[in-house]
Amino acid sequence: MTEDSINNGLAIMDGYYRDYGGRAGELKNQGRQVIGYLCALTPVEIITAAGFIPFRIKGDVNEPITQADTQMETIICPLVRSCFDMALKGRYDFIEGLVIPHACDSITRTYDIWKYSLDVPYSHLINLPHSTDDSSLEFYKQELNTFKRGLGKYTGKEISDESLTRAVEVYNQSRSLVKELYELRKPDPPLISGTEMAKVLIAMMSIPVDESNELLPGIIDEVRQRDVAPARKSARIMVVGAQVDDVAFIELIEDSGADVVVDDLCPGAREYWPMADVTDDPLDGIAGRYLRKIKCGRTYREVQTDYQNSLENRFGHIRQSIKDYNVDGVMLYIYKYCDPFGFEVPAMKSYIESLKIPVLYIEDEYSMSTIARLRTRVQAFLEMID
Amino acid sequence: MTEQRKPRKHATEAAGRIAPMVKAAISENLRAKEEGKLVAYTFIVCAYDEIIRAMDIVPAWTENYAAICAVKRDAQRFLEKAEAENFSRSLCTYALCGLGFDVWREELGAMPPDSPWGGQVRPDMMLGSGQMICDPRNKWYQAVQHYMPDVPVYEVGLPWPPYEKDYDYREVQDYYIKYIVEQLKGLVEFLEHQTGRKMDWDRLGELVDITDKTWNMMWETYELRRAVPTPMGTGDAMNTMVPISFMMGSQEAYDFYKDLYDELQGKIAAGEGVIPDEKYRLLWGGGLPSWFALTDFNYFNSKGAVFPVETTYRIIEAVYNFDIDLEKISDPLEHIAWRWLKYWTFWYDKARKRPGSHPDVERLIQYIEDYKIDGVVMHEAFSCRTWHPGLIWQLNQLKKVYGDIPSLILESDIVDISSYSEVDTHARIDAFIETLESHKRG
Amino acid sequence: MKEQYFAGMDIGSRMTKVVIMGEAVLSSHVVSTGPEQRKLANKVMEEALAKAKLSFDDLTYVVATGYGRINVPFADKQITEITCHARGIGHLLPSVKTVIDIGGQDTKGIKLKDGRPVDFVMNDKCAAGTGRFLELMAEGLGVELEDIGKISLTARHRTVLSSTCTVFAEQEAVTELSKGVPVEDLLAGLHEAIAARIYSLVARLKIEKDIAVTGGGAKNIGLIKALEEKFGYPVVVPPEPLVTGALGAALLAGDAAREAAGSGSPLARSERRLNEARFF
Repeated sequence: MTEDSINNGLAIMDGYYRDYGGRAGELKNQGRQVIGYLCALTPVEIITAAGFIPFRIKGDVNEPITQADTQMETIICPLVRSCFDMALKGRYDFIEGLVIPHACDSITRTYDIWKYSLDVPYSHLINLPHSTDDSSLEFYKQELNTFKRGLGKYTGKEISDESLTRAVEVYNQSRSLVKELYELRKPDPPLISGTEMAKVLIAMMSIPVDESNELLPGIIDEVRQRDVAPARKSARIMVVGAQVDDVAFIELIEDSGADVVVDDLCPGAREYWPMADVTDDPLDGIAGRYLRKIKCGRTYREVQTDYQNSLENRFGHIRQSIKDYNVDGVMLYIYKYCDPFGFEVPAMKSYIESLKIPVLYIEDEYSMSTIARLRTRVQAFLEMID
Repeated sequence: MTEQRKPRKHATEAAGRIAPMVKAAISENLRAKEEGKLVAYTFIVCAYDEIIRAMDIVPAWTENYAAICAVKRDAQRFLEKAEAENFSRSLCTYALCGLGFDVWREELGAMPPDSPWGGQVRPDMMLGSGQMICDPRNKWYQAVQHYMPDVPVYEVGLPWPPYEKDYDYREVQDYYIKYIVEQLKGLVEFLEHQTGRKMDWDRLGELVDITDKTWNMMWETYELRRAVPTPMGTGDAMNTMVPISFMMGSQEAYDFYKDLYDELQGKIAAGEGVIPDEKYRLLWGGGLPSWFALTDFNYFNSKGAVFPVETTYRIIEAVYNFDIDLEKISDPLEHIAWRWLKYWTFWYDKARKRPGSHPDVERLIQYIEDYKIDGVVMHEAFSCRTWHPGLIWQLNQLKKVYGDIPSLILESDIVDISSYSEVDTHARIDAFIETLESHKRG
Repeated sequence: MKEQYFAGMDIGSRMTKVVIMGEAVLSSHVVSTGPEQRKLANKVMEEALAKAKLSFDDLTYVVATGYGRINVPFADKQITEITCHARGIGHLLPSVKTVIDIGGQDTKGIKLKDGRPVDFVMNDKCAAGTGRFLELMAEGLGVELEDIGKISLTARHRTVLSSTCTVFAEQEAVTELSKGVPVEDLLAGLHEAIAARIYSLVARLKIEKDIAVTGGGAKNIGLIKALEEKFGYPVVVPPEPLVTGALGAALLAGDAAREAAGSGSPLARSERRLNEARFF
């Protein structure tokens, strides 16, 4: 860790955010290999253990979708369409493979379109189940094994348990560091803004986990030592949604006079807070993390006792965050054409409101052009909860 | 005129019998409680039709009820009701219609006024299926449970191996089968708990057997449509799919296809086609139909176009065409699991033999050749992200690996009529007919 | 104590409204936000001040709201039209618990409690359910916009339209017209379609009465009747339905001044004077 990185960790992450993919491209030119993936439910531990850099494909809210429509229907989630558009426009030409989990229809059902259009040498779909019972976990473990074998075959070298365990530990370290950074959002005002945090997390999707593990401690120190905290604003907000891979919305909230102090997003708390258990067979811990620990609407949580308790099982982590981060209001930020989250809205809204926390539900299209309209809603909500 | 629906013309007498059959089934659902039977909400193509039937549980096919509302052009008020609950209008409109209906029914404590065909009965349980077909299958019932918290939901995982470059599906099929069987076992346990009865495994075995025979019968029947002129079109098939979808495992379903087989044989012998002057033979290559605009098939007919074949709701293959001897699998759950897996992977081997191909594309090619097809029509329904992504791509790929063939993509929805423009749709069809004509000449 | 004066300015996509008040309303001024007026927020304010016989310096506090609120440099505060409409209706009609504002380009539903919003919904994406839909229909059917409501009530048989998308609906309506369907029947159908869209939007708030309708749409008697049919009971329309937002803004300006006085803190004002301002 150099003097520079202690002082410039946030600046470096900001650079990676703005030039998304630049670092990965650079590493590719140095001889490293990069594999692209969609969705936080991809087991990046396995990709890293195989020697690849996992690169999260992201969209661009500033870029109108122009090429994707020749191959992909417009009824697909706008985030996925934007990702595909970016890929077609050559933004991610440094990837040599594509891995996707069975996350949602928009991702799973377009897998073939991605595969055939990008024409990368390696592609794989991991059939993540929807249920979390024991037979589903067992099935998923088998699927991970199939993936591990296939990826090993592609590299010509079997992926060892040791390398998997090491990868699990490295990613767990990354997760702990991120959690530490989140802790600095608990004070009032938070020491790090939601916008800054989002940039760090989004940047991390595009660089090797080793590199973020190097930068994070410096960033944590940098933030901790701030004596001029950003001025106190009117309300502490939590944002809940699927994948938010751009700061536009967070920035809008913060420009309107509130602080985004915590979230249930990817990248964000949903993706980073659950740890993978370090198990004898590393695939056990990995399977457990992605199928059971990550609380995402696409995974079906069985009703164990009764319906009310099942809401606690599905959304209890939101209640906990509201309490721990002293949240005044929650914004549900859901894209149009999003099935897993779209169906959740009434139950989620009702659960959070039962905690006497006001909720703003926004449906958006993933484009800068809609941001102006959101401004009024966000501002009205903040006026309302004041 | 939007207020009155145009009366539909069926080519076959069999198709004409369907509406009363469905109506009778809806009535049966409504009477179930009086008869001491339990009702389960469920989805078609769930793989466990026979299991439900063997336990004497009455299935309520929620997608079907939404389609009925759509056909009657009375779905809007239910879609709006769902929207008023903050369900996005972009979600599956089968689900939105069902959700809106159920929310309303729960609010009133009675059926909404003038419910189509008496309404959708309040269920005793709701059976979903995760993996692989679509997200609404494991989100819809969870969402409606918010309004009926006393009704239990059970999800069954039903995957199939994807078509991949780096392995053949046979390398993984064993653990897929194991998983499906475990999931079906779990369902049986759940149903035993709900009904207080034990599964009659012999009876289940019998129903599974009838299903195999029904699949074969239906396949052979539909293959008769290869005749020129074709004796039956997709318009009718959107009706004749009912027995396999809602009555799978019943003798009635088998008998229906047997009757249809005989009827089609008769028509072929008499040289009787759907229309007297058959000019263009079209493949309905993908997309669920616009249930409120099935008369568009008649519009195609009026221009000399017929649909001898479709992929939509042709949800069977002849089991004797599988590469395993299904008959040898006596355990009913394993039998169901293998039949499921082999159905969904049926076109994989063919696809591997043609560079750049894909199972969905192979299926199109097979039908184009077998049924002497002049053009392909697809329908993009905006609310369904399971069957409608990939239609553009399939057509592109088809043209790449097979050859240039005229194609048309219609756009609207399955249930939401506000997305449909008759003027626009007919204009597209007209233009397509012209393309077919010049392709024929050129 | 000398009477204080406050101004509320509501810049909508179609109309700009100003209310100037002291203890009571001194003037209300409504002009079209047409393209020629884009740069002249100050001009509209000057006209309103002239009506009230005041100068800009007489004003203690100015609140801007509406679509163009960000571009009023002489405003001391910008508050959303949701909060402003709630305040305005809360003042005019205290029994009202739900407000529906039907504007040119958007429609809002606001749930009130004691003059403050507790929940709201907006439709500003899609023309269906807004004034724009009615404008397009009037144009397509060759009827004056001011008359469509009246005419729709003379229908004997309401045409049922299946499209709510404005493009499709226009196609449909024009096709029916050419088939000889009476224009009043079509207009009745169109009003019903809009009312259905608005109802479906506002129903998300779990509507409680009394219900008030404001905005340009409130002046359309046909739409009011269609909405009442949907809700199942009468709705209230304030005497000047276009200015409730501006009124609310003016009231909120007064609130801000009183709050500052009460807590002894200075009332922060914008530094900008009444200059030529760009709207958008």
